Amino acid sequence: MGPKNESGMSTLEYHVLLALANGPLYGYAIKDAVADESAGTLAPRAGSLYRVLARMMTARLVAEAKPPAKASPHPGLARRYYALTAAGRDALGAEARRLKRTAAVAEKRLGLAQGRS
Amino acid sequence: MKAILIWLVRIFPAAFREHFAAEMTAQVVRDYDRARSRGYFPAFWFGMATAADLVRSGVAEWVNPTWARGRRTPVEERGTAWTVSEWTRDLRHATRSLKRTPSFTLLAVGMLGLAIGANAGMFSVVNGVLLHPLPYANADRLVHIAASAPGSDFPPEFGVSAEFYVQYKEQSRLLEDVAVYNSFTSTLRVGDRVERVRMSWPTNSLFTTLGAKPILGRLPVADDGQGTAVISYALWRSWFGGDSAVVGRSYDISGSSRTVIGVMGPDFEFPRDGTVLWMSNDVHPEQITPGRFGASLVGRMVPGTTPEAVANELTTLARRLPERFGGSPAYARLIEQHHAVVRSLEKEMLGSVARPLWVLLGAAGIVLLIACANIASLFMVRAEGRQRDLAVRRAIGAARSQLIRLQMSEAVVVAVLAGAVAMVLAWLTLPVLLRAAPPGIPRLDQVSLGLTTLAFTLAVALVSAIGCGAIPAFRGSAADLTQLREGGRGSTRQRHWARDTLVVSQTALALVLLIGSGLLVRSFWALRHVDPGYDTSNVFTFQIAPEQAALTDGPSFARFDLDFMDRLRALPGVESVGLVENLPLNEGLRTTRFRTEEMASGPDAGTLLSYTWAAGDYFRTMGIAVFNGRTFATSDHVAAPSNVVISRSAANLLWPGQDPIGRRLQGDDSTWATVVGVVADVMQNSFRDTPQPLVYLPLVGPTPNSWVLSSPAYVLKTSRAEVIAPEVRALVHEVAPEAPMYRVFTMEGLARDSMVQLAFTMLTLGIASALAMILGAVGLYGVLSYVVAERTREIGVRMALGAQAEQVRGMVVKQGAWVVGVGVVIGIATALLSTRALGSLLYGVKAVDAATFVGMSVSMLFVGLLASYVPARRASNVDPIESLRGD
Repeated sequence: MGPKNESGMSTLEYHVLLALANGPLYGYAIKDAVADESAGTLAPRAGSLYRVLARMMTARLVAEAKPPAKASPHPGLARRYYALTAAGRDALGAEARRLKRTAAVAEKRLGLAQGRS
Repeated sequence: MKAILIWLVRIFPAAFREHFAAEMTAQVVRDYDRARSRGYFPAFWFGMATAADLVRSGVAEWVNPTWARGRRTPVEERGTAWTVSEWTRDLRHATRSLKRTPSFTLLAVGMLGLAIGANAGMFSVVNGVLLHPLPYANADRLVHIAASAPGSDFPPEFGVSAEFYVQYKEQSRLLEDVAVYNSFTSTLRVGDRVERVRMSWPTNSLFTTLGAKPILGRLPVADDGQGTAVISYALWRSWFGGDSAVVGRSYDISGSSRTVIGVMGPDFEFPRDGTVLWMSNDVHPEQITPGRFGASLVGRMVPGTTPEAVANELTTLARRLPERFGGSPAYARLIEQHHAVVRSLEKEMLGSVARPLWVLLGAAGIVLLIACANIASLFMVRAEGRQRDLAVRRAIGAARSQLIRLQMSEAVVVAVLAGAVAMVLAWLTLPVLLRAAPPGIPRLDQVSLGLTTLAFTLAVALVSAIGCGAIPAFRGSAADLTQLREGGRGSTRQRHWARDTLVVSQTALALVLLIGSGLLVRSFWALRHVDPGYDTSNVFTFQIAPEQAALTDGPSFARFDLDFMDRLRALPGVESVGLVENLPLNEGLRTTRFRTEEMASGPDAGTLLSYTWAAGDYFRTMGIAVFNGRTFATSDHVAAPSNVVISRSAANLLWPGQDPIGRRLQGDDSTWATVVGVVADVMQNSFRDTPQPLVYLPLVGPTPNSWVLSSPAYVLKTSRAEVIAPEVRALVHEVAPEAPMYRVFTMEGLARDSMVQLAFTMLTLGIASALAMILGAVGLYGVLSYVVAERTREIGVRMALGAQAEQVRGMVVKQGAWVVGVGVVIGIATALLSTRALGSLLYGVKAVDAATFVGMSVSMLFVGLLASYVPARRASNVDPIESLRGD
């Protein structure tokens, strides 16, 4: 679980939502997507990952979904798929906008700082 | 490691697991396998990090659940969450506060590190030796097979004869495979190098039964007959420099030329007595003489059966042996009484070493418990020092869980540091421990601090952290607001009760260890003072096996021995010289039936007695007392008819209440010998033995080939026993240059070796119990010091009102004595139940020995009183005015 930012969403939570924005995924695929999309800075371990999932399911941001029709058959354990809810989609959008704003502020300030020197 | 990780998923609450456990486990397993494929280190780091993550998230899930199935409202996440940042903050805080009190931290880390280190060391031994004793696939299906014949005069358990092997191999349905083997010492010649080495003569099925493959060459097959041999890895490296060209060459092995066809791997040690060579063998059922007992059998059970079921089947199969192989009526009678003994090979190999190892691991565990109790006690004192601080935090809104966390994190930091100290300690001391360990512990050379030990140490450290931190943390977090009242003392009674309980349990545990080691010391003492029937001081012994053209029969070997003994006697400082076939403490005895003239005739009559051969001044050299008659003279050794010397118990058995001198005795070769002397009984195998009735035969039998003593043990009485070896070696080189000298010992060395297992256990347990006693005393001292400091004001008032110093001292000592007394009572009760675990380690003392129990309890009480006296003195030195001025 990464550090928390102002809006109350941790980096890991953000990336989990982000991974699901493309469509339903199962647990291990979420892990791989998070690792890819965070450019390797996040490598969620089982305990942390599923606590985040549980928390977001409890908060109704994520819900269990039917496996996609084209899902490849998988031997052994039946995979559980997770998907964004409408609330989850909103939360992700809000967080993305917030990040964008703060990023813009940061760029602006850094630009000024560079100009001064 | 993987299993531990999977197990750790269980930390999560059941509701959470119900939904997520399967997926979590799948992810852990998949990631672990990935990490493992990159090597040991990635796997290790992955394991450690994942374990930490699982423990942290699991505990956090309990403290602050995220999963609320069916709950409509989202759980409140802010404020009480246990996140990484807060966790690291707690840890940082804990580290800072521990740094401020370096003496406390050093004491706690040192004490816990020592205790965890002892556990890590013992665990690595137990893990390597007891949990993985055999390097074979499906080792749990391997069994050792022997024979027993309740009601007969055979020993309780004895080796089988070749016809058992044939019958079992052909007809058993519960055994997949079975092999018979004999082990012996014989001569190996490779070029100029000649030595006596341990060899085994197994059936070729030995290798298939065990599932062992050679690393070089091939295994023997039926067509090899008796002309080939397989050598051990150690022999290959040391004698042949690891040269693969050895396969296919022939050497003189045990008197005949055999071709080396294979080299076994370094893991293959069977039987585990230093065997370095296995000769090929083929058993021809039609050539077997039934009843030649003494061979060992190893078998592989089919899956899903038990040793008991196999024993029943084999007993039934053996019943049909006389009808197939014939044999004497005595043999048929024995078979009727025969019961197969089937035991797992692991158990057989571990034999007597398992018990001391478990006892020592238990002792290490007890030391850890005591150390934890001490540290918990220290933490409680520490927590009390900050009652007000905690109460303030509570008052301004800190959740109780936050306070618990804060205090637990100190314990966690201490435990993790202690775990690191423990690994270093174990790494430093394990080699010392292994060197000091008695011989005969299988696979000890392969014991090392592996990943499993590391995981074990980590787990122990975490459990210790919980053990040390939990009571103080919960107690401290309960701080109530009355603490904030001016001069408030809060309720101290409850906290005393908790601390007293800790001291009571420490005392009790320390006493259990003290009593255990006391019993071992008494056993050791008793064994040191046993009269084995001989005197081990100043005796040097060795064997040679001369191979000369002139040495062909009994008389020629006898002449060689008599001449050789004359030469030995001429060495400087040698008082007397003798020889014996089976040296006490080194070799066992053979038995056969002897018959007196008073007994009925016939092949089955007679009494089973042990026998050996002795010559020269054997009895004088070994200090074996002569009760009656004389010992052998040189004339007894050169001509028939034979005279024999018998031991006192043999005399009592054969001719109770009568004078045995001049009576006659018949061995299994049916010639008669006359008893010329009666000597003291000797303990042959160890000082714990009951002496066996023994017949000593002379060098030469009734006919030249009745027997040939080709490799007896020579004994020399000399005050130079420790240093005479080079001179003897030079003499051997002169007299028999072809004969390697082996089994070179002093009798004192053999006596020491025979007790080394007990000595090792005694020493280790002694150290553990001393440690336990010191830790217990330190704990008591700490508690009483604290109590005195806390009651300074009360004591000041008492003294101001006229209480005498002795009264004050008495009051404190009484409090200490009361706590220790309760601990001693509980300790005695626990020891009564647990000293039985020492079992066969004890000698000459009962597991419930009153003297040891009383002695150790008194010492524990004494140490407890001593530990209370120092704080008591401090209390009596309280200055009433000073103490009342405070606050």
